[in-house]
Formats: sequence, structure tokens, C-alpha cells
Amino acid sequence: MAKTILIIEDDDFLSGLEATKLKKRGYEVLTAASGADALKLIDSKVKIDLILLDLLLPDIDGFMVLEKIRDNKALRPIPTIVFSNLSEEKDIEHVKKLGISNFMIKSNFTLDELLERVKELIGE
Amino acid sequence: MKRAPIIKNRKKRLTAMQKLELNSRNLNSAVSTLKEQKKKVKALLLQSQKIKKASENYAAKTDVISISAHQIRTSLSAIKWIIEMFLGGDLGKMTVEQENLLRKAHENNERAIMVVSELLLMNKTEDIIEKQYIFSPLDMVALVEDSIFNFSGEAFARGIEVIFLKPGKEFPKAKVDKEKLLIVLHNLMDNAIKYSNAHGKIFIVLKEENGFIQFSIKDTGVVVSEEGKKRLFEKFYRDREAMRKELVGSGIGLYTIRKIVERHGGEIWFESGQNMGTTFFFTIPIFKQESLHSI
Repeated sequence: MAKTILIIEDDDFLSGLEATKLKKRGYEVLTAASGADALKLIDSKVKIDLILLDLLLPDIDGFMVLEKIRDNKALRPIPTIVFSNLSEEKDIEHVKKLGISNFMIKSNFTLDELLERVKELIGE
Repeated sequence: MKRAPIIKNRKKRLTAMQKLELNSRNLNSAVSTLKEQKKKVKALLLQSQKIKKASENYAAKTDVISISAHQIRTSLSAIKWIIEMFLGGDLGKMTVEQENLLRKAHENNERAIMVVSELLLMNKTEDIIEKQYIFSPLDMVALVEDSIFNFSGEAFARGIEVIFLKPGKEFPKAKVDKEKLLIVLHNLMDNAIKYSNAHGKIFIVLKEENGFIQFSIKDTGVVVSEEGKKRLFEKFYRDREAMRKELVGSGIGLYTIRKIVERHGGEIWFESGQNMGTTFFFTIPIFKQESLHSI
């Protein structure tokens, strides 16, 4: 059965490119353009195998989404890649304190490199 | 009512008057001192308000720069990925001419991405090294592991293996300003990955040496030129061998981290040669139980 990835990204164009690449590799993709939409999807108990999370989002920001995920026992084991163009030390520290082991600066990576990291975490 | 005894004795009268005068002078002196202290407190309060205002302005400036960099990077990410989709054949076959043009576009886009990173780094480090240093005992092993984590994505993308030779369990704490030492570690990690050959290895060692903690990071990539061996820590200097590998760079990193290490009371140096790559070393004092202070 195909693995499902939730992309939480407010830039439609970027999330479209990410989704295109992931679908070509055989993943199922769900998208949310805001923190609130992401939490609704997560609360709907749909099966998610990996979360790709931007930090700067309208309404609820990525840090708050991350806190809500970490506070939820059922969601905590889902691997999360923080995929953002923020790179301040304080942002990285904040993310690490929430137990995230993957922080990638978008502009430093190709989509193929992102796919490799996804494959490393959840397989194909 | 009892009347005050009249001091009949002239000598005793004089002594009493002298004492009165002395007490009066002491009182005046105490009042002057109080007034002086009040002025100083007022001046300190004013200074504290100025510092608070400057700090708020600095935080606001940092936020504006961070958000602006984020916006620019978002656009550059979009361009990067579109070009890579074309070059990767995701959008059909191209002519040779189209491919060459897109490769050029890709190269320029990558350069723009690096310039944004360099500008962010310059902005951050110039401000930070002028700020007050606040030292505290720190676990260097944990700090090094944090830095390795921060660069794990970049190292993974280039197929570079980072090997950390951790010291034994009883490793002393270092006397460190964490924010500034992270700049040192990040700069050295960034350089080691940037100037390493793809699929190479980076070795990190921490050890205790003569009352100091010694950190070293070895890559197996670019060798520093003879001129570079004399000038590498100069402000804005970029070694030509490094520029062959990576054109973009401010040349401010090594200058900055040397300042930081020296403010910690340590030293920084490097060794570089054919078939051995380049190893950077720095030392930091071991934390001792004395009063913590700021510089």
C-alpha cells in the first residue's frame, strides 16, 4: 500500500512542485496550506506516514503545529521533516527542542535530495 | 525642666564645638555622596533604557532581515526546482541549446542562494561579536553533536560522512559563550562540507590538552595555498584554492571565529597539505569553579 505524505506549505506553487515529485515516486500526497488546515487533516485520523512542514504559515505557524503533533501520542511517532527557508539558530533550536531530527533549508536542496531523505525515513 | 549643663570649661567647649563642626562636615559629605549616587543611578537607568531600546531595535532589524531572506529564498527555491525539473527531463526533452542555457541559469541561481546565506551570516556575526560575552559551563560534546545535526542535511546531500570521535564519559565542561561558540562550530562545519570532495569523510575530535579542550575538524578536500597559509584569518581574505571550489564567500568567517576563540582565551590554527586535506584546531579553556563573569 502506498505511503502517504502530508505537505504543510502555504506557497501553492512550491507545494505543487513537491507533490508532483512525490507522486511520481509513488507516494500518496495530501496538502494543507495553513496550520489550521493541517491540524484539521491530522485530527481527521487519516493515515499519514510522513509530514513535510514549512514553518512560516498563515494563522497557526509551523512551530505550533509541531507542538500539537508532539503533544499527541498517536501522532508523535510520525517522522517529520521541517522544510523551511528560515535558518536562524533560534528557529533550529526551537525545532530541535520539539524533538525533530530533520531540518532542511529549502533553497539548499533539490527535490531529488528531498526525495532521498523521505525514502531514507519511510521507504518507498 | 532640667536645663542643659553649661559647658564652663573653655577647653571642653572648644572640643565640643570642633566635634559639632566635624559632624556637620560629615553630614554635608554624606549628603553630597547621596546626591552623587542619585545622579549615578539616574545615569544608569537612562543607559539601561537606551540599551533596552537598542536591543529592541536590533531584534526588529534581525527579524526584518530574517523574513526578507526567507522571501528571497522562497523565490530562489521555486526557480531552482523548476530548472531542475527541466534539466532532469521531467518536462520532456530539450534541445542542446536550451539545456546549456538552463544550466547557466541554474548556476546563477545557486550563486544567488549562496549570496543570501553569506549576507545573513555577515549580518549575524558582525553584530554578535560586538555583543557582551557571557560565559557559562557547557558540555562541548553536546554542542558538537548539535552542530553535526544542523549540517546533517547538507552532508547527506553531498554524500559526506561526518565521523565524531567522542571523548570518554568523564569529559570536563568548557567555559563558553554558547551563542558565539556555535558560530565557530557552524563556520568550521560549513567550510569542511563546502570544501570537501563529494563522498568524502570529515573527522571531528574533542580532547583535553594542557588544561584546555581542543577541538579539531579534518576534511579531505581543498588544500590551502602557500599564500593562504599566511593570510587565511585576515578579514575578507579568500584563498584562491577555496575560490576554485566555491566562488561565493564573504571571507569574513575565519576572521570572525578567530576573534571569538581569542576572546574565550583560546587559540585557533590549521594544518593543510597534499593528501591530508585541511584540519582546523581550536582550544577553549576548561571550566573551573570560579565566579562566572562577563567581559
